[in-house]
Amino acid sequence: MILDNDIEILDGLEIAYIRTLDYIVATDLHLGYEDVMGSSGILIPKASLKMIKDKIQRAYDRFKPKGIIVTGDIKNEFSEVSLGEFNELYEFIRFLKDLSLDMIFIKGNHDNFIDRYKDAFKFKSYDQYVKIDRYLFTHGDVDLDISDIDTIIMGHEHPAVTIYTKVGAKRKYKCFLYGRCNKHRILVLPALGYYSTGTDLNIIPKSQILSPLLRRCNIDKLHAILIDGNESLDFGELGRLRYI
Amino acid sequence: MIPKRKILLIYLVNLKNMIKLVDKPFTEEESLSVLNHYVREWFRSKFKELTPPQLYTFKIISEGHNILVTAPTGSGKTLAGFLAIISKLIDLAERNQLDDKIYCVYVSPLRSLNNDIYRNLTEPIEEIYNMIKDRYGVELKKISIGIRTGDTTASDRQKQLRKPPNILITTPETLSIALSTTKFKEAFKTVRYVIVDELHELVSSKRGVHLSLSLERLQRLAENELIRIGLSATIYPLDEAAKFLVGLSNGEPRECLVVNAGWSKKFDIKTLSPARDLININETEIEDKAYKLINDIVQQHRTTLIFTNTRSGTERVVFNLKRRFGFKDEEIAAHHSSLSRNVRLEVEENLKKGKFKCVVTSTSLELGIDIGSIDDVIQVGSPKSITRAIQRIGRSGHSYKATARGQFIVMNRDDLIECSIMSYYGVNRYLDSFQMPRNCLDVLAQHIVGMAIEDVWDVDDAFMLIRSAYPYKDLSKEDYLSVLKYLAGEYVSLESRKVYAKIWLEDNRFGKRGKTVRVIYFQNTGTIPDEVSINVISLENKKWIGTIEEEFLEKLKPGDIFTLGGKLYKFQYSRLNNCYVVRSDSKQPTIPPWFSEELPLSFDLALKIGEFRRLMFDLVKDNIKELSIYANYRSANQRIKKVLDNLPTNDEGKEAILRYFVEQYKYCKEIGSDKEILAELTDNIDNKDTFYIIFHSLFGRRVNDTLSRMLSTILAEKLDTDIRILVNDNGFLFEIDSYFKDAIDKDTIEELFNEIINKDRLALLRRNIINTELMKRKFRHVAARGFMILRRYIERNITVRKQQLNAMSVLKVIKEEYPDFPILKETYREIFEDTMDIRNTEKILDLIKKGDIKVVFIKTRYPSPFSHNIITFGHADVTMIEEKRMQLRKLYNLVIKSIKEDDTR
Repeated sequence: MILDNDIEILDGLEIAYIRTLDYIVATDLHLGYEDVMGSSGILIPKASLKMIKDKIQRAYDRFKPKGIIVTGDIKNEFSEVSLGEFNELYEFIRFLKDLSLDMIFIKGNHDNFIDRYKDAFKFKSYDQYVKIDRYLFTHGDVDLDISDIDTIIMGHEHPAVTIYTKVGAKRKYKCFLYGRCNKHRILVLPALGYYSTGTDLNIIPKSQILSPLLRRCNIDKLHAILIDGNESLDFGELGRLRYI
Repeated sequence: MIPKRKILLIYLVNLKNMIKLVDKPFTEEESLSVLNHYVREWFRSKFKELTPPQLYTFKIISEGHNILVTAPTGSGKTLAGFLAIISKLIDLAERNQLDDKIYCVYVSPLRSLNNDIYRNLTEPIEEIYNMIKDRYGVELKKISIGIRTGDTTASDRQKQLRKPPNILITTPETLSIALSTTKFKEAFKTVRYVIVDELHELVSSKRGVHLSLSLERLQRLAENELIRIGLSATIYPLDEAAKFLVGLSNGEPRECLVVNAGWSKKFDIKTLSPARDLININETEIEDKAYKLINDIVQQHRTTLIFTNTRSGTERVVFNLKRRFGFKDEEIAAHHSSLSRNVRLEVEENLKKGKFKCVVTSTSLELGIDIGSIDDVIQVGSPKSITRAIQRIGRSGHSYKATARGQFIVMNRDDLIECSIMSYYGVNRYLDSFQMPRNCLDVLAQHIVGMAIEDVWDVDDAFMLIRSAYPYKDLSKEDYLSVLKYLAGEYVSLESRKVYAKIWLEDNRFGKRGKTVRVIYFQNTGTIPDEVSINVISLENKKWIGTIEEEFLEKLKPGDIFTLGGKLYKFQYSRLNNCYVVRSDSKQPTIPPWFSEELPLSFDLALKIGEFRRLMFDLVKDNIKELSIYANYRSANQRIKKVLDNLPTNDEGKEAILRYFVEQYKYCKEIGSDKEILAELTDNIDNKDTFYIIFHSLFGRRVNDTLSRMLSTILAEKLDTDIRILVNDNGFLFEIDSYFKDAIDKDTIEELFNEIINKDRLALLRRNIINTELMKRKFRHVAARGFMILRRYIERNITVRKQQLNAMSVLKVIKEEYPDFPILKETYREIFEDTMDIRNTEKILDLIKKGDIKVVFIKTRYPSPFSHNIITFGHADVTMIEEKRMQLRKLYNLVIKSIKEDDTR
């Protein structure tokens, strides 16, 4: 699906492609989630990394991009790194390297550790944000001066939409949010991590939005693009999805 | 001297069938002759006679037989179980052979019962020892008694380890922990007797299944064959309960004698309808009359116990009795599980002392807590099972010689029929049967961890032991091995194994793995799930209003209105454990407050109701010319009158029943019964956008739940739409988009039944259930029981919130990657067998296939009378279409449609 002349999303994937930059963008991988849960006594079967790799592979096959930008929360834990996270992170970067992708990592609040691989794998990493051409790539958890920015691309929020049907069925879908926000355009990516199913933004009140950047927008005017299996569909403005 | 009876007993136990009913009591002489002479002397000085159960138990237990006794309250149950054992221990003391060892283990599902028993045991033992000392100047070594439960302090536990009590009083959970405690293992070697109290509570629950494995583990540690004594309220079938108690030895049930003294009390049971006409009368009038009935009964008795089934009902009845009749706080009290432990204990204590005129309870007082003397039991609304009704009513009457009295007060016509049939069969001593959960893999996982802590096991030896517990007698080797593999960490990657694996498994042997396992087992053992309590918070002022249950939240969708603390709120959204609402001006809730609490009707009683419906309907049909919807039952013809007069129901009730049937016949000439499922296609008068198919299916809610899910899954796929389902005990309802109304006819319905008869029904149900909130919640419970999600881990409580996390995503992965994962398998089993009722549903489908149950289709303009309670009081869930993609398209269309409508406005 083509969002504007420069941004495209592939049906069924939480990944965007920026044509002029020739980069794919993904966010909120939360690698090592299963192990972190395991160490607190909750058995979660390993699944996320495998699915993340599958999805990146699909995006890669379609666009053959020059590189990848990950806008934060690459791994799950805030501070310490468990062995599991270490292994998964290594495997993930190795995988990108094997595809010969250039890597740009925006560090979320979970991601300081990533710099240890920086030299070995020759990637770029930034605290909080990076501006490239008319785009600002950021995690989304801190407020920034965005006066000269055309388009913000961010993660952190884990957007999703819950839909109730007439007869009371309930389903939650991960989604992109896209549209005008004041003088800018904004694209909020859904989390790529399998177990991060998202926050139903059409249900919660606006006061519960996490990102200061997103709080400044009228999110009801943003389009929700819902992802399900192999499809992505533009459901129109988020505001229309309240109480349906 | 060999009593004649003994020869008979030996003969009995040699039969292939090891469970034998003993229906002739021994004489007092025979019974007392087996006791120690001091004990006999004490007993004679203390009691005039033996109670009915005692006339069996003294002798049978002394002679070393396993025994199951059903006994009513006030029949000296404690002594019936214990006196023969105390007698043997005093024998030992006389010979100076009473050591600091455990001789008897007493297990009760109720912690508070343990304190009662302790009191009821120490008292007679004190008396016996005092008598021996006073009269004979002999000082014997005291019999020691110890209580060990979750409340026992660490220092008391240590003391018990150093000096084990002769009689250990405990709960199922604590017993299973003690079995894995190194020092206790030693102390259990000498155990001879095990008493299981409140057996009727255990046989139908996972707690009981858990205990059944503990008993077999205890048997393995004991040097002698255990003598098992089961104490129970009235229960059916007795032989199944007995097998549960004694388990198997070499694949055959152990010997057990069964004594059914539960009916030694007389029962006086009545169903009371407050009015002749329960429909054309306004709500307040019915209520006025019902409360007057209740008050009249309460005033006639010293102490009355009232059951209401739900907590909200309990509060309402207490409130009304106070307001209407001026009951004071010290005369009336409420007792239910939402009240704090202290409040409940205080109510129990005061009830025991006879201080209250009346105590109102949801279900919490039906268990065997000693509540003193009750004169009468009132049940507001149906208790849903004959056995439960009898157990509750059996709490009244001061002694086993008194008459137990109980009345059902009914508020609607279905309840009226249900309670009338229930009281009829109760009076005639017919009980409905319990269902025991079988092959529960989560409970098994817990015990395997416990066993691994206890010892290193040969895989086959352990399998033998497990299969000797009755609920596991048919456990397949495959399932057993899958649990072993799961616990050994074979379902996760190698690097994670050291975190997850609780046991090692190699060379056909297994044992515990790692140091934390012992702690994990001690902290997490047990079968009662952590329920989430959801905070209800006002969006207007951010104030906390109260709590609701997770199960209740599952039923809510934004915009639904429910009551809490007497006020109405509109549900907005939920987040974590909070549910956000605004005040509502609406008059009526859209979701009734007892939605998640209602008990399901027992299958056996449902069939009896179906049978009554058929008989009564045929009579009405034969005599329709002389019957009007204002028929007077007194002037009805003799045949009709005879059937109605058989019911222990007041005249108002009989008349209401008759008119109900006449209305149904005159309206549509058909009715659902035990031989007919009536499918009625009709309009939804509240909403033209949808219509109803109402299935009058008289098999109780659990079968109806199962059946409706199977049928709706197929129909939803066929029509390619969502179907809303409402289920109750007398039927179920499909609410479908009006667009499809013309697509449904007789053939559609017949075809639906044909398809489920011929299809893989389990696969159908799995498909139906996988995306539901029910599945998520049950999965979380089973995962916690099976140690996949630890509730407590290394000094930390894992919040339920964390336990809840992503159940859906986890389920999806497991379903795809590890289809034979035991925790998933058990989740399905629990839902299909324990929550729903796949076994009886299969029976019904078989009868449909044979033509013994007919499926009849009719169309009506408005829903027929017998469907009104289904429409108004159903339990909702939603069948979803498997193809999520299609769903998305459809939702999309809905959204577009609603947007277009908005736009043209």
